[in-house]
Amino acid sequence: MPMYGDLGNKLVQHAKRTQNLAHLPPYQTELVRAVTREVRDLDKDVASLLEPFQGSFDPSADQATACTLLVNHLSMRRNKRCLLAYHRTRTDKLEELVWKGSDVLDLAGQQGGGTNGASAADGGGSSSLSPQEEDYVRQYGDLLAAYKGQWTDIDLTGSLEPPRDLFIDVRVLKDAGEIQTEYGAINLTKNSQFYVRQGDVERLIAQGYLQKLG
Amino acid sequence: MDIDDILREVDPTFHAIPQEKRDLQELTRAWIAERCAPELLPWPANGLFERIDDNIKRQIEKVEEMTGDMDPKTNFALIVIQTELERYRYLVRSYLRARIAKIDRHTLHYLSTDDLRSRLSEMELAYATHHQALLHNHYLSSFLSSFPANLQNLNDASAGISMIETPDLESAVFIRVLKNTLVQGRGVDTDDAVESDESDIMILRWADAKPLVEAGSAELV
Repeated sequence: MPMYGDLGNKLVQHAKRTQNLAHLPPYQTELVRAVTREVRDLDKDVASLLEPFQGSFDPSADQATACTLLVNHLSMRRNKRCLLAYHRTRTDKLEELVWKGSDVLDLAGQQGGGTNGASAADGGGSSSLSPQEEDYVRQYGDLLAAYKGQWTDIDLTGSLEPPRDLFIDVRVLKDAGEIQTEYGAINLTKNSQFYVRQGDVERLIAQGYLQKLG
Repeated sequence: MDIDDILREVDPTFHAIPQEKRDLQELTRAWIAERCAPELLPWPANGLFERIDDNIKRQIEKVEEMTGDMDPKTNFALIVIQTELERYRYLVRSYLRARIAKIDRHTLHYLSTDDLRSRLSEMELAYATHHQALLHNHYLSSFLSSFPANLQNLNDASAGISMIETPDLESAVFIRVLKNTLVQGRGVDTDDAVESDESDIMILRWADAKPLVEAGSAELV
């Protein structure tokens, strides 16, 4: 028999698994809805249990009811924590992707084809993001761009590895077209190799166009 | 600030050290401290980052000027300057990112009191406030809005547990002692106090190390 909190537990397990994955698994729309429903039902139970007492409930006089109320009360709060944890884990992941500069919305679309909200809701192979998450990514992207924009000379999303060499060897993994550097234009065609300034190509390495050698 | 800085201030040759170099020292120290401390440290209020920003701009202009020159000698100087510039940038980037990571982790905590808010720079404060609003909005639209009204808060403290997570001030840090001083530390079973000498390195709880670091008797390593 399913018990209070079972569903919440499932959500937490999903969240835990998400932490170790490179990609974001599909949003558990049904599960989130079910846990939310459980909270509402519990709240109704509490209200109807308390109704006959007209606000003068004495826990020591009716210990059985008091115990039910306590269990309901704790279950609701536990479910809330599970929901918060699940969503926060996912937004953390999404933020990480935004920082890395990968186009999250595009990526989600590629995984299933079509990012429209209606088909995303059933989680069946379409976008792995909920419509709310897509909104969130868009807004967070704007927020980050605004914060970054105040440090124009630093490139906040750049590499967090301490720089060793000014110039590095790179191999081109995917055609990336022509880029402009201080030493003229370079045409990045697949499988060619270049000795370039790290700062010029960092973005392309992060996006998987180039591979750093050595 | 460490003992060298204090000595330098009374030294008549102090002003021989250019401001740029002192800024770099200060930045490096702030960066190390920020990366080691478990909680957010105050934003340097003395205009350090405005000066750093100017320095970087100046160097970038210099690089652009020198790029046109084809003389091999300038070319070598150019590489040195660019390498240094990349490292400078890395320090600033890593410092700012370390702070943002801490702010994101405990946003509500750092926004909760004026004292904590004052540790953030203006930009960081704007970022944190906006980010928290986005998150709250996301929770609301995803599930929280269909909750009973009394369960919609994000800062409840029911059953004595606050919903707002705080950084662990009891976690261990390494410090280097800069002035001979008495270091007091709390242990699991007993507390201890050690008379320590300059350049001693020790490990203790951040909560115990904090007053020493703030007083300039020790620095984080």
